[in-house]
Amino acid sequence: MAGTGKLRQRAPVSARANFEYDRIQEEEHTDDVYQNPNNRHPIEKILETDKASVVVVAVLTALAFALRFYKINHPDQVVFDEVHFGKFASYYILGEYYFDVHPPFAKLLFGLAGWFSGFDGHFQFENIGDSYTQNHVPYVGMRALPAILGSLTVPVVYAIMKQSGYSTVIAAFSAAIILFDNAHIAQSRLILLDATLIFFMSLTIYAYVRFQKLRYREFTSEWFGWLFATGIFMACTWGSKVNGVLTVATVGVAVLIDLWGILDYKKSPSMDYFWKHFAARAIGLIVVPFIIYLSFFWVHFALLPTSGTGDSFMSPAFQETLAGNEMLLSAQEIRYYDTVTIRHKDTKVYLHSHVERYPLKYDDGRISSQGQQVTGYGHADENNNWQIIPTKALPETGRGRIVRHNDMIQLLHVNTDTVLLTHDVASPLMPTNQEFTTWPRDDTSRFNETLFQLSLTDAHDGEAWKSKSGYFRLIHGQTRVSMWTHTKQLPEWAFRQQEINGNKNPSEKTATWFVEDIVADETGEDPKERTGHQPPKVPKKMNFFRKFGELQLLMLQHNAGLTASHPYASGPLNWPFLIAGISFWTENDPQKQIYLIGNLVGWWTCVVALSIYVGILGADLLARRRNNDPIPEPVRNRLWNSTGFFFVVWAVHYAPFFLMNRQLFIHHYLASHLASALIAGAVLQFILSETINYPISVEAPTMRRHKRQYVDIGLKGPIIFVLFCIAMFSMFVFLAPLTYGTPGLTGDQVNGKRLLSSWTLHFAAKKTAEVVP
Amino acid sequence: MNPGGRAVAVDFVEDEFEEIGYPETLPTYSPHMDESAAARRRLGKGKPEGVEEKVWYDDEDDYKAPSLRSISGGRPAQPALPPPTTLHEFIFQNMPSIPPLVYTLLACYTRFHRIGLSATVVWDEAHFGKFASHYLKREFYFDVHPPLGKMLVGLAGLLSGYNGGFDFKSGADYPPEVPYVAMRVMLATFGVGMVPLGWFTAIELGMSQWAAHLVALMVLFDVGWLCISRFILLDSMLLFFTFLTVFCLSKFHNQQSHPFDFDWWTWLAMTGISIGLVTSVKMVGLFVTALVGIYTLQDLWDKFGDLHLTPKEQAKHWGARVLCLIIVPILVFMATFKIHFMILNHSGPGDAQMSSLFQANLYGNDFHNNPLEIAIGSKVTIKNMAFGGGLLHSHVQTYPTGSNQQQVTCYHYKDENNEFWFWPGWDQKDTVWDPKYGPHDPNDEEVRFLKHLDVVRLVHVPTTRNIHSHTIPAPVTKANWEISGYGNATIGDVQDHWVVEVLGDVVRGDVNRYLEPKSATVDPRARIHALTTRLRFRHQVLGCYLSAGRTSLPQWGFKQIEVSCAKEEAGSKPAEGSIWNVESHWNTRLPPAARSLSRSPFLTDFIHLNIAMMTSNNALVPDPDKEDLLASKPWEWPFLSVGLRMCGWGDAQIKYYLMGNPIIWWGGSISLIIAAFVSVGLVVRRQRYGGGRGTRKPAPNSLNGDSGRNGAALAPRPGDGLTQREWAQFWHVTRIAGGGWILHYLPFLIMGRVTYIHHYLPTLYFAVLMFAHLLDYFVFQVPSTASASLQVVPTSSVSLSDLNSIPKIIRTFRSLPRMTRIKVYVFTITVSAIFGTFWWFRAVAWGIEGPVRDTWGLAWRENWNIYH
Repeated sequence: MAGTGKLRQRAPVSARANFEYDRIQEEEHTDDVYQNPNNRHPIEKILETDKASVVVVAVLTALAFALRFYKINHPDQVVFDEVHFGKFASYYILGEYYFDVHPPFAKLLFGLAGWFSGFDGHFQFENIGDSYTQNHVPYVGMRALPAILGSLTVPVVYAIMKQSGYSTVIAAFSAAIILFDNAHIAQSRLILLDATLIFFMSLTIYAYVRFQKLRYREFTSEWFGWLFATGIFMACTWGSKVNGVLTVATVGVAVLIDLWGILDYKKSPSMDYFWKHFAARAIGLIVVPFIIYLSFFWVHFALLPTSGTGDSFMSPAFQETLAGNEMLLSAQEIRYYDTVTIRHKDTKVYLHSHVERYPLKYDDGRISSQGQQVTGYGHADENNNWQIIPTKALPETGRGRIVRHNDMIQLLHVNTDTVLLTHDVASPLMPTNQEFTTWPRDDTSRFNETLFQLSLTDAHDGEAWKSKSGYFRLIHGQTRVSMWTHTKQLPEWAFRQQEINGNKNPSEKTATWFVEDIVADETGEDPKERTGHQPPKVPKKMNFFRKFGELQLLMLQHNAGLTASHPYASGPLNWPFLIAGISFWTENDPQKQIYLIGNLVGWWTCVVALSIYVGILGADLLARRRNNDPIPEPVRNRLWNSTGFFFVVWAVHYAPFFLMNRQLFIHHYLASHLASALIAGAVLQFILSETINYPISVEAPTMRRHKRQYVDIGLKGPIIFVLFCIAMFSMFVFLAPLTYGTPGLTGDQVNGKRLLSSWTLHFAAKKTAEVVP
Repeated sequence: MNPGGRAVAVDFVEDEFEEIGYPETLPTYSPHMDESAAARRRLGKGKPEGVEEKVWYDDEDDYKAPSLRSISGGRPAQPALPPPTTLHEFIFQNMPSIPPLVYTLLACYTRFHRIGLSATVVWDEAHFGKFASHYLKREFYFDVHPPLGKMLVGLAGLLSGYNGGFDFKSGADYPPEVPYVAMRVMLATFGVGMVPLGWFTAIELGMSQWAAHLVALMVLFDVGWLCISRFILLDSMLLFFTFLTVFCLSKFHNQQSHPFDFDWWTWLAMTGISIGLVTSVKMVGLFVTALVGIYTLQDLWDKFGDLHLTPKEQAKHWGARVLCLIIVPILVFMATFKIHFMILNHSGPGDAQMSSLFQANLYGNDFHNNPLEIAIGSKVTIKNMAFGGGLLHSHVQTYPTGSNQQQVTCYHYKDENNEFWFWPGWDQKDTVWDPKYGPHDPNDEEVRFLKHLDVVRLVHVPTTRNIHSHTIPAPVTKANWEISGYGNATIGDVQDHWVVEVLGDVVRGDVNRYLEPKSATVDPRARIHALTTRLRFRHQVLGCYLSAGRTSLPQWGFKQIEVSCAKEEAGSKPAEGSIWNVESHWNTRLPPAARSLSRSPFLTDFIHLNIAMMTSNNALVPDPDKEDLLASKPWEWPFLSVGLRMCGWGDAQIKYYLMGNPIIWWGGSISLIIAAFVSVGLVVRRQRYGGGRGTRKPAPNSLNGDSGRNGAALAPRPGDGLTQREWAQFWHVTRIAGGGWILHYLPFLIMGRVTYIHHYLPTLYFAVLMFAHLLDYFVFQVPSTASASLQVVPTSSVSLSDLNSIPKIIRTFRSLPRMTRIKVYVFTITVSAIFGTFWWFRAVAWGIEGPVRDTWGLAWRENWNIYH
């Protein structure tokens, strides 16, 4: 081992300090690592007292409230996504069912806030810019909720750092990055979900840090307390917004790493011990949060008993549980020879036909059958009427005449007395799909091509076909194509109506239709009364878990479907550098605008800190690979385990966005930004001093007392902190007109605020002339 | 100290060390002849926790001393044999070469059998055959794939006497003068080569003979690989070179104990060359390159931690990899392009993808006969000078968004929609169209040559619309203004005005120095030349520049490149996409200029072509409006949910159906899943119990007893039940097979482009390796507890049938140890299943004759559209 020279002998790598290892440390480093707490700088001694800490946190919190509540009543108009979340709050108050991709917890809180402040739910938050004062909406009360939660995030950040063993100044530094951040402030002053999300996410981190600190006192009531607190806060985070699932993933990753350590044969004496740990976490971090998460939905369903805008998203069975639902009121069984109108579920056009024929030759040179046109038409019309013709013998009367799942039927176009037909001829617009046309009823030569199988969605054998609620696909008997339509319009020769064609994909989801209305029965009379007088229908009951399952699935599908482009959407790579913000709201007259953008000083500090952190870890890895030991063990322990956890928080809340195809906005980075603020504190500590508060975990009574060391960053800590706060605050004030939306700015002022050329601010003074296109 | 003088890993307990030995100390060691009597799986199980006595425990186990590197997976070093003295010895020494030889012959049979049956252009032969014709006619064409594979197709054509005259229309019959059978045979030879490569790779990976037989048989009998190798396609070459890369890598891995030896260098360099070749056939080769890259990084990371290596040795290791695995492959890749350019020196259908200068140097190109100097009234095509840039284009279709005016795009093919007139601005005297001047002959006018800062209109010839811009965001790049075709010969406004800015000339340098702003006449040296002058077009009103990026328009714009008006900060460098040159130039009033132009440098052409390839590859995204019956999704592949009809399905046609051998595909995918579980299980076991066979020494004292958490006593350490060698072998093959599979599969899930089932064929190889590896791990490499005499019998001899002594063979078989008999059973069942399904499905690759209904029982899964 000649090559190692005077370098310290490599210590065994262990995930966590243990006695074995501490003994080595004591022998080798007692003098230079562990010191007397009284030898610290006087400033440090003062700041580390509890009193000083209380004062600092009180000041920070007071400032946070002041900055978030400043002019919270401005603007008195609907801003950005308040359109959605304000509306949802009003639905809770009215009890009308709605559908949204996010879980309900945060929206329930808004509903509660609205209810407390006396909102009666009449205002619908239709458009950005609608006035609150004119409509008498107590919007300040509703905005106060996120403002309070956003303000409380600041002391929580402070507490996380304090609990992780950093000195008061460092903890205040991390808190200040959040405190003075324009993005966090803008996001917390409006009726948006993110403040709730961030608050509970930071609480989750806090609880998990507390839980980890108790790891030598496993299975005590305190330990369980923080374990369950982690689970509860985690459930609240997840319940606030879909993105909260990333917090769940963070805790999952941390727990897996933790359990992996416990599994080590050097750490735990028996598998029973491991399974005990495993079971405790399974209950505290899976079972309990899931129950809470479920309970949010239970409350959600309980509060929304009546029919509303969300009906059409749900399955017929679900819709029938909502009072006043149209489907519930007017769904009727369909019988043969009924005349019905048929509508496409997604595009809402009627199945339509008229005497005009397909042109023999299309523009691209393909040939049609020149049959009668079958199109999708958006308006009520006599030509939308189709009669259902049986292909089997029917009993004279009774329930045998009801049309059922998987029946073979013909559809007769009443006005032209022709039956629906499809055949292997390319449709007008799509060469891959089959043309739909009709054929004279009395000409039976093509009878087999006019047979269609009725396939009801999620139906059991023999289920009756109902109007409104009976979603179905119409599958051609011979060629097995499904009747389908898409939003493309046919040319002038078909009056720009929608094309209807046969889709060859047997499981195409968008080929779903329903019967809008039964126009007449066999005798030509209105069929409404044929089943006799109907008692008023009562909403049906549905198992909560089935409701929950259906809603979860829909939320996932719709979340993935949010791929439409948005002018202010931005890629994840832009976020940490604040390349682009979001325009929330503008007002022309005094040229006011709210533009979501972070504090440039704070965000770029975080980016620098992140890169330094990664650099330190990389250097440490390389050095240790070569048997060098550059970092004292307590410091490395902190860097890898505590700061490493923050880094996992950051990465797990950030990396998944790179894989998502949905539209992404800079406010999706706020959670990661909070984590990066924690890392920034840790890195500042590392740069300022080699000392550290160590150990910080609570020791078990049976353990030998550790020798301790204490952090001492002396005078330079407070100085740097004050300078940094001044810089942060200046930048904050500079950007404040964009954050608060007041005062109005002249064009040149706007140009001045545009610190990065990629910010698309409104009302910028134009350099080029405005010309009519 | 151990005999080798190396530091011994501390967790090697003495008796274990003696039992296994290192390859150096026991050179005849071979894995399937493991003498360790204690079967590994019997240890570590059985005894319940805690019952075991307290054992000596070493704390340093986690620290993997780098000197352990000598224990790694792969084929153990073989002792060099003495030269044979008798014929018997010679035969005996060469026995191991017989199975691969037999398999190669069988592969020749399966690959060549009835190869010319279908005398029509099958599937993508339409493309690759056509490219071969282009090579033979030496016409420049453009395609998204790198050129090596297609050049080899061309070579096959050349060797078989094809003259390049056939246009390979899909489904057309081959005329008698096209030697398609010979071409197919030559390309199928690559398919034949896959089989011995499979065998040797298995051997080099350290698999047992049993497993090597399985790998070879699976490669031989998969109908997917068979089918794709039998046509004029690139896939057989891609597969061959992929196999070759894995083989070279395994070979190189086995040279690890003798770095910088001749063999070590050979196989490292071979790996690099092979990477270059596979990537030059299809870009999919990058996936196997990534496998080599990750393997190398891990290897270097180990080396980095090896404190016995001097810095000089470290540097040598790094340098060798950089040279052989980065520089060599790039050189190979570039060399294929160099040859490509050298062969294709005539003008052809792919011209417009390349820069104007490149085109001007192709034979048959008439650019150099165009008039030289551009004037008002010239009809031109305008080429973007950025790498991969196309020609300015417009067509009657309109934007569905924004202004709804006529689309303006960048297009990569020659077409009359690329033609534009330079006309003067609306405020200037218009020599042709302006009714004020009445009808007159424009030839009466003096020729007005264009120069720097002239204001012009760009008029689209077929539609007479003016290129126009306004303050409407462009359809894709929202930050830029939209550019559209607006008005006609008489309708228009100042928004049609473009200021010509001359940046310089490729040949003549800065021509603007000849400009004299005050003088009325223009110095002829400041005029704009076709092909060479670099121009920009600034919108007179908005100040933005006519630009083309690399963003494609959606389907409504036919995936052509978006053209927009890019705002530019004052004083910044001109963006590449905003620089144009005049390509074709027609002007009857100007004389043709016969001139010779210098060649564009190879490197420029190389980058240009590669960027063009990338751009059009990215445009191959599935069209949501169109249903492509041939395309399939990646998750449909591993369990063979879909197949692909390679040709028409008429009763009279010979029909080929691209699918796999279900047993091989399903088996491979299932074994990947099992391997994932086994790996996780083993890693967890190692974490829980430590590596190795465990310790049997009692603890000398209980000093360490309190060092666990809670001060509880430490658990005894049964280990994971594997020897170091077994663990290393398992891990080595698992990472090559599993890692290779993931690297070849995940990218298809992520990337947006349209995918087909044949994209899975390279991936399948890793599934096959994993299949054999798992059987090896669970069955074939489990030591048979038997006397030494039985292990001398080569395992393969059991299956040889000696007709004269059948009873004796049965007797011998019965007397074999139980484990050996299990191996025979497992092997026989697997091989019969593979061969059985191959025979069952052979027609899909050899060609289905007659009505498909007559071939019964092929549709094993609902989605296989063999019958309907």
